[in-house]
Amino acid sequence: MGVELRYGLRRALHSLRAPPTWQQRSCVASSHRTSRPSKAFSTSTSHRQEPFTAAPEINLSAENNIPILKRIRVVPASPSYFSGKPAFTDDLLALQALLRKYQTLPVVETGHAPRIAWRTFESYKSFLGSEPIKASKYQRLVAILHRLNHIHPSLMPQEVKDAMERYKREINPFANVAKPKPVDEWGRAMGLGRRKTSTARAWLVEGEGEVLVNGGSLAQYFGRLHDRESAVWALKATQRLDKYNVFALVRGGGVTGQAEALTLAVAKALLIHEPGLKPALRRAGCITRDPRKVERKKPGHLKARKMPTWVKR
Amino acid sequence: MSTIVIPPGRCLRTLPRALRPSTAPFSTSTHRSLPAPAKKKTGTFAPPKRGERTLKLKKRDVVRETRPPAPGERKAVRKRIVLSNTNALEPAGLVDLTADMAGAEEVRGRVVGIPGEVVDALRVVEGFKVGQGWAFFRRPAALMRNEVVELAREMEGVEQARGADERAVGSGVRDLGGQTLRKLVYGERGTGKSVLLLQAMATAFLRGWVVISIPEARDLYLGQTEYAPLPNTSPVQYTQNEYTAKLLAQIAKANRPVLSKLKLTHAHNLPIKIKPGLTLDAFAELGVNDPEIAWPVFQALWTELTAPAAEADAEGKAVAVPRPQILLAIDNVAPILRPTQYKTLDADGKLRPIHPQDFVLVKHFLDYFRGARTLPQGGLVLAATSGNETVKSDALSVGIAMAEARVANPENKQLKLGDFWNLYKEMDMRSLEAVMDVEALKLEGLSKAEARAVIEYWAGNGMVRSRVEEGFVGEKWTLAGGGVVGELEKAVVRMRF
Repeated sequence: MGVELRYGLRRALHSLRAPPTWQQRSCVASSHRTSRPSKAFSTSTSHRQEPFTAAPEINLSAENNIPILKRIRVVPASPSYFSGKPAFTDDLLALQALLRKYQTLPVVETGHAPRIAWRTFESYKSFLGSEPIKASKYQRLVAILHRLNHIHPSLMPQEVKDAMERYKREINPFANVAKPKPVDEWGRAMGLGRRKTSTARAWLVEGEGEVLVNGGSLAQYFGRLHDRESAVWALKATQRLDKYNVFALVRGGGVTGQAEALTLAVAKALLIHEPGLKPALRRAGCITRDPRKVERKKPGHLKARKMPTWVKR
Repeated sequence: MSTIVIPPGRCLRTLPRALRPSTAPFSTSTHRSLPAPAKKKTGTFAPPKRGERTLKLKKRDVVRETRPPAPGERKAVRKRIVLSNTNALEPAGLVDLTADMAGAEEVRGRVVGIPGEVVDALRVVEGFKVGQGWAFFRRPAALMRNEVVELAREMEGVEQARGADERAVGSGVRDLGGQTLRKLVYGERGTGKSVLLLQAMATAFLRGWVVISIPEARDLYLGQTEYAPLPNTSPVQYTQNEYTAKLLAQIAKANRPVLSKLKLTHAHNLPIKIKPGLTLDAFAELGVNDPEIAWPVFQALWTELTAPAAEADAEGKAVAVPRPQILLAIDNVAPILRPTQYKTLDADGKLRPIHPQDFVLVKHFLDYFRGARTLPQGGLVLAATSGNETVKSDALSVGIAMAEARVANPENKQLKLGDFWNLYKEMDMRSLEAVMDVEALKLEGLSKAEARAVIEYWAGNGMVRSRVEEGFVGEKWTLAGGGVVGELEKAVVRMRF
């Protein structure tokens, strides 16, 4: 602590000789982790400490004849010096300074910036060490990153790119794009859907609305009208029922599960023919797989949650 | 004098319980507080007391507020056939079916009404079935789908063939060279097999044919109508007198306009005396009143209908008496193509099921169906399967498969049974022979145009809530498994969201 204080005071003295502008200071603050690590001033915990050499002690006595020192107070270079969470505050201030520096750069339209997965709150916390920070504070940081990310890609300064790099998740989930499935040479598109324990594969071809399920007609396979509607719901919700023919194979589970597995399978196959229908299908509830399954039975229980009747003795 | 001193506690114990002083103070004044609320009766829900091993729950008495239905009342309600809905609208532009219209091109794919007198006759022959949805609409009407129009044309063809033959053969000849069409109507559930039979019967009534119908062949199979061995038959044949009497009643009543113009021409050997010159409907009713003679009457009636004795014309020449064509209709034919539930003791003293063709009435129909006998003046033998497979017939399945193979490959005339049935498994050959070379008519879903016509008719009755548009029709057509008409009705008329 003593060493850091001394170093801070030295820098303060230095600053007296050439008083810095805010930007310069913020540059120091922002770049101390990248460009000039050896001179970094940091109060963060040891895991981030880079090698440094202690500055010589400042002599505040009378021999060191600096008259101004009698009038002014020496303050640390980092505004977060007195903070309980200095590393986070440093990060926040650095990003704020960066934003201030580049805020006049043109930006892309909202939502058109490249998608980046920022570190999660937990990941950032463990990255900083044991510093207590709140999720809401981290949200402020992420908001600045989000704004920085909206700077037009062709004008994005290297400095900003480097600064953002630090907050990115190690694996970008948005880079994992599903391989588009093609319509095959016979004009068929295959989709796979699941629900409960049922699995359905549906092939969609252009046609007049004929449906075959496991070799039988829709009416033969599903006795309930409701299940029949479920099976072709993706087509019905998008007014495509008389544009395609469906043939499907369904396995496993019960009648309702099979019908609802078909909903998903048909929707996925339809998306191969017409990818633009995705929002409509999502509104119709045909995109998201229903993850609910039968809950397992536990020992000591009669069923998943049912307990045997309480008996006094 | 000695006194026995009894200690006070013991003294009190000797007193009767009622006289002992109670610890509670006794007061005659009324309570100033409200009485404590009555305890909830927890008796029925309490667990059994200790030592008891059974849980006794009091049964709540069922209070019957209405009288129980009379015997047969429930069944009557279940079997009731409602043919009109007075709340439905009168559909605009609905025309009635006429004799000439049935096979005409302009009715193809249109819904036509069934005229009132034909409705009455169809009711008598039980052409309308429960659950067919007639009760939703103003009055009975049916779609003239392709198959119906084609069938009507074939019926016309039968009449014309007969006329041509008569001219060719000349008068005075018994065998009129008529054409007997045999058809088996099959298809999945709800495709309109029974309604096709009904439309064929309606056409037959309009064209002056004689209609004889077995509305439900299961009745002859289940063992629920009485039966009796026919004397002097070997192997033993059986009659179903009650059923035959009922059938005669139906024939007489439904075909009265035709039969009342025809007179007996033969002298029949019957156990009762018959007035000469009796009309055929009156003759049939003789068997209705006396089920014992129902079968001989039926036989005699059949002779009159198919082989009338020649009459002498004005010049004394023998002239063939013209007789109307006959439509034989059997619905749900599967049960009479497998051993029945009637049982008999065989020579080994074991109970064995009686074969349906040992029943003379069934055999009579099946002989015509399988082509062993033909109708001299021509006619149509129509049998329909049922979508309900509670009573299955292996012979029928094989017969249908063979008929399909014949349609798929018309050149292959000689089909091998082994291709359709595992020869090492038992097969009822008598039944199989009845269906082996029958012409099968498969009913499938309606086309979209036909579906639209029928939905528009329903909308005309005020029974459709949506507007009848292409999208609506297409959607319901798909949900109905490709236009299966029964399912279509379920989706459009019956379903209320």
